[in-house]
Parts: sequence; structure tokens; C-alpha cells
Amino acid sequence: MAAAVVASTARWVRVRAGVVEAARLRCQLGGSRFGRLFLLPSAAGDVAQRRHVAHFTFHPDPENRKYGQTQKMNLFQSITSALDNSLAKDPTAVIFGEDVAFGGVFRCTVGLRDKYGKDRVFNTPLCEQGIVGFGIGVAVNGATAIAEIQFADYIFPAFDQIVNEAAKYRYRSGDLFNCGGLTIRAPWGCVGHGALYHSQCPEAFFAHCPGIKIVVPRSPFQAKGLLLSCIEDKNPCIFFEPKILYRAAVEQVPVEPYYIPLSQAEVLQEGSDVTLVAWGTQVHVIREVASMAREKLGVSCEVIDLKTILPWDIDTVCKSVAKTGRLMISHEAPLTGGFASEISSTVQEECFLNLEAPISRVCGYDTPFPHIFETFYIPDKWKCYDALRKMINY
Amino acid sequence: MLPVASRVLRSASPKPPGRELLAARNFVNEASFDIKKCSLHRLEEGPPVQAVLTRDEGLKYYKNMQTVRRMELKADQLYKQKIIRGFCHLYDGQEACCVGIEAAINPSDHVITAYRAHGFTYGRGLSVRAILAELTGRKGGCGKGKGGSMHMYAKNFYGGNGIVGAQVPVGAGVALACKYTGKEEVCFTLYGDGAANQGQIFETYNMAALWKLPCIFVCENNRYGMGTSVERAAANTNYYKRGDYIPGIRVDGMDVLCVREAAKFAAAYSRSGKGPILLELQTYRYHGHSMSDPGVTYRSRQEVQEVRSKSDPIMLHKDRMVHSNLASVEELKEIDIEVRKEIEDAAQFATSDPEPPLDELGHHIYCSHPPFDIRGVNQCIKHKSVS
Repeated sequence: MAAAVVASTARWVRVRAGVVEAARLRCQLGGSRFGRLFLLPSAAGDVAQRRHVAHFTFHPDPENRKYGQTQKMNLFQSITSALDNSLAKDPTAVIFGEDVAFGGVFRCTVGLRDKYGKDRVFNTPLCEQGIVGFGIGVAVNGATAIAEIQFADYIFPAFDQIVNEAAKYRYRSGDLFNCGGLTIRAPWGCVGHGALYHSQCPEAFFAHCPGIKIVVPRSPFQAKGLLLSCIEDKNPCIFFEPKILYRAAVEQVPVEPYYIPLSQAEVLQEGSDVTLVAWGTQVHVIREVASMAREKLGVSCEVIDLKTILPWDIDTVCKSVAKTGRLMISHEAPLTGGFASEISSTVQEECFLNLEAPISRVCGYDTPFPHIFETFYIPDKWKCYDALRKMINY
Repeated sequence: MLPVASRVLRSASPKPPGRELLAARNFVNEASFDIKKCSLHRLEEGPPVQAVLTRDEGLKYYKNMQTVRRMELKADQLYKQKIIRGFCHLYDGQEACCVGIEAAINPSDHVITAYRAHGFTYGRGLSVRAILAELTGRKGGCGKGKGGSMHMYAKNFYGGNGIVGAQVPVGAGVALACKYTGKEEVCFTLYGDGAANQGQIFETYNMAALWKLPCIFVCENNRYGMGTSVERAAANTNYYKRGDYIPGIRVDGMDVLCVREAAKFAAAYSRSGKGPILLELQTYRYHGHSMSDPGVTYRSRQEVQEVRSKSDPIMLHKDRMVHSNLASVEELKEIDIEVRKEIEDAAQFATSDPEPPLDELGHHIYCSHPPFDIRGVNQCIKHKSVS
């Protein structure tokens, strides 16, 4: 049975000149064909090829007609739309970062410079600390600053500015000054080939810092609404965009601005036996785990998208756990000190007597994000499913 | 008419039958060349304007540059076949920089650079096999397949660093260690025109100058920081002057002799205890920033073509050798064939070597720990960390 597979997703490689390197198990995934294993024979004489199956399937939400006319958009287009709406509405809004002028390395700012002018959408030199420091200054002076850090992995030179300056500005000045107009956007998460410095999820580092807000959307519709809320919000916000979804996630997104409230988690699917919590790309993984659980184990899962990491919606999660008695949290970031530990700790404080099993965390290994081992590193649905099964049988 | 062929150096392959070995044609043993005078900042005199090149040296530089060029093109090919994945930043066009610097220093000197590192990795002594296998993520790679393109290391070569500018303070640290151990070694700390605007570079300039560290800062200015031209990124594009109180030299980075003489001068300067010095190598890369960048959206194809036809480092070096009778065209062609074969062998190895075993996932996180379990996914595979 596939559930017992220890080596989760594996891949096979065929080598040029017909040398069989290693035939490995490959789990064929998708649709209703859960758990069938194909042992694929290697054909001789083929050009060396490496196939990668994405570890998730994007589940678009049904079209939301509440906000007017919608348009098919992928994640980066929905970001562009949000930024477009912001610059149109707010004459003080400016966008800056590395390479944003031509459209950005992920096409999130395409067309904005032409539309709003080069004094509102401009490039900065290669200096993250400078970008955030500068952004704080712009915001303190009353303008709306939307800074882009090219990859979340590069945010660390700016860590001091974010944690020591941006987060504490209002507090230390007794509310005389603030940089609430600052929003920092960064591509986040694994992408299949990112290796150590293009795949990181640093939300846990910032979660330890009161004064800022951290948001991670799961889809284009969510992204636009949440980004607009971040920009409106009178606190410095960090908005992490799952880069693997930039093109992979396509949905109907309203053209006009709309706002999705921050610090409100969303129950995507109601259930009675287990609560599953995740954010960003991982939400799609646990959705699939929920259907696997229903089909194969008859277990009813409640799936929650946390959305805002800081300040997080304790009530929704605790209410859910009080109902189900079991909690599994999953994220790509390493286990130790990951945000799941904060959720786990708070939930056991609030819902101790309701718990039927220890809280399960299915996360990345405590290693740097590997290059060659990525498929083994990420907490895919097989690992989550296995953890869920053990929790049910506790 | 007997073919003129002169066997030069090591060549493992046996000669095909029918090829006649002749005594070397009447080549000169060395020649002197005029090289471009370098612009100077805070220096009374600079590197010499004449360079002497011996035949052996010339052939070695040619072979090394050609190897780096072919290796990068092979990496490009393998990347397009999806045998190499992830990020790959190619060095073709800039060969004169790594070969020139390597020619000027000792193996006991130190080098640290950023992510466009394949050329230096080769120069520091690793084989093409080890490099290509690291790119394809196999266990025969120099980093056991765990590092990939941006993280290649060798003796006295500290990588291979992904975060822009982060390697510069590290280079100053290596230089401090050199000074401390009193071995008269120096550290070449390289970075690009994009990184030149990072704050930590200036912090490093200050420390190196204050403590007179034997640190040679080298800015490889290939005119574009990813897609941003230097004019649009820097308020002052005279990178050799950006060290302010640190003396600087602007060097023609497409001429291997120019680079060598400048690097020699800089190494001697630092080694004598005078402190840091800054070299700006004006060079060019043919490929885009990385394999996901076509390289033509921010510069014209004509520009790339122009540099290729007028300033290609290998072409310049070859012309010099041939016109001054240091080598013949056929001889250099032989070297080309040798190089091609070496690269093919290496590529074959890189595609057929097995990947590192899954146990490696947890290894080498800490040092000298008794092996411990890596925490990660609940229950599932337990990995041990061994170091």
C-alpha cells in the first residue's frame, strides 16, 4: 500500500548511452489514483532526462462575484493588479526594489512604471539593508512604501532594519512616529530547483518580533486581497509570495480592489476528526491529504489556512481543535523553532484537555534547504498522510 | 609535406597512427608585449606596461582559458538538457580574469569569490570532472553533490558564495589570518559591479585599511549587475576609486597579461605589508546573468557580438602567440582537441556518476558531534547527522 511507502516521492533517471543508473520507485500521483506504484523500466539509449513531479496540486477557489467583475489571473498577475490599484488610489504610493522597473524577475510589476511614471516605480541598487531602511524613511514621512526584496533568502541583511527599526518605531516614539505605510514583499518558499538560497521560508525569524505583521497567501484571489490589506494597514507588513505559485496558480480574481482582513484564519473545509493547519503552498498539500484521509481512512479533516502568521488567529485554531481533538501543522521551514512550534505550544495551553493525541508537526528537516535532496526534504502529502494516520491511531 | 606538429605538454592519449612527431618548429622561447597602461588611484606607479610571456606560460594560459570556456559551454548544454538544474552562472568571456590572477599568485595564496565561480574553481586546482559532477549533483562532485553551482570549494579557495557581497568580509577575515600567521600569503577577494553597492563592502574596506590586511579587493566589472547596467546602479562607476582611501587600479580584464601583471603588482604590494589594494577588472560576460536570463533584454546582441569579435580574451591571446611566433595555429588546435576530449570525458562522468545517497541529507551540519538524529518530519525517515 502506498501509504506505507517510506521513500515518499522519488524520481527515476535515465542516462544517456543506455547506462542504467538506478531504477527507483516512483509514486504516481494525482487525481483518484492514489497510491499506485509504478516501477518504470529504464530504456536504453535515451537522452538523460530528469522529471520532477510537483509535490502539490493547486486547488483554485470557486469564483467570488462579491467584488465585481473578475478576470483570469495567475499569482504574479494578481499581485500586479493589487499594486496597480494601490498606486491608482494612493498618490503617495511608491514601489521600489531590485529590477522592479522592467517588471521584476517574477513579472510582478510589469507595466507599472509605464503607467505611473519613473518617480513612482524605480529600481534600487543591490542593497537590501538600504532598501528597507530607505523604505522605513519613506513611510515615516507619510508616504506609502512598497519595497520588494528579490528573494526572501536575501532579506537577512535587512533583518536589523525590520526588527530593530521598523517594528519598534511606534513603540519607542510613544506613537509620535510610525512606519505603518511600509509593506515589504518577497518571493518565498520552495520552487523545485531553488537550493539553499532561493527556497527559504523565513517567517519564523520575524514571528519572534512584535510590531510587524507577516502574511502568506495561498492563491491569486487571496494574494490580491491580502496585499491590499497589508498596504492599507497602519503597521509595517511583510508579505511573502509563494514563488512556486506565481505561474502555477490561476484563478478568477476581481479587477477592482477588495480587502481580505488580516489576522483571520480561514476554515477551508469543515471536519470533525482532525484539524490541519498550514499556509502558502502547503495549504494545497494538506487539502489533498484531507481528501486522502476521507477516502482511505474515513477520517473527516478540518483544513485551516492561517494566512496571517503574525499576529495569528488563535481563536479559530483553538476553536477547531476543541472540536476535533487532534492537530497537525505543516510547513516547509525546518522543524526546530519553526512557526508550528508556536502554534503547538499555544494550542496545548488553551486546549490541553481537548487533545486526543500529541500535536503533530510535519515540517522540513533541520538542515539547510538542499539542492539535490529537495524532493526528500519537503513535507509532501505522503509524509503528512503518514503523520495523520499515526495521530488517528494514537 | 609533413604536418608541423609539436607536442607540448602532458597529453594522455596516444597519437593516432600515421601522425608524425617532428622536432619543434623554430619557436621563440619568449616574447615581450606592450600592455595597456592602467588607470591609478592613490598610487604613484602602477603595474608595468610591458609583459614578458614565455612559450610554456603562453600555452598554459591558452589551455586553461580554453578549458574554462569549453567547460562553461558544456554546462550550458547540459543545463538546456535539464541534466543540470537549479541556478547556474556562467563565466565565459571572463576567462582572462581567473587565468590571469591564478598566473600571478601562488597556490598557497587564497581566493574567495561570488557565485560565478566555475573558472576560479578550475584555476584553484579542481578537475573539470569534479566541477561538472557537482553541477549535476553527483557524489563525485567537489561538494559531494550537495553544493551545486554556487558552492564549490577547493584548497585555499573559499567558494562559491550565493549571497551578494557576503564573501567580502569573509575575504578580509582570511587576509587577517594570513597576516596573523605571518606566512606572507594574501587573499584575493572578488566581487562584482552589482555587489560593489552593498554596505558590507564598505565596512570591509574600512577594516582592511585600518588593520593593513593583505587583502586584494577585485571588482570584476562586467558592466551589468544581473540586468542593471552600471550607469543605472552606481553613483560612481569608477569602481577602482570606490575604496576611497584604498589605492586602486583599473585593469583591462580581457587581456590575460594585463590581469596577470596587475595581480602580480597588487600581490607584491599587499604582501609587503602596505595593506589592501583594489583592482577593477573591466571584463564582459557573454551569457546572461544566469541560465534563466537570455542576456539580451538589457543589452543588444550587437554589443555582445562586438565584444566577442573585438575583445575575446582567448582570441587576443591566440593572436599574440601566433604573431610573435610563440606557437603555431596547428599547435593551438591540438590543444583545442585535447581540451574538448577532456570536457567530453568529464561530461560523461558527470552524467553517469550516481547521486549522493540519501543519508547525506543530514551530514555535516555540525562538527564532531556524536551522530544524532535530524529532526524533521514527524515519524518518517530518520536521518543521522555524521560529521
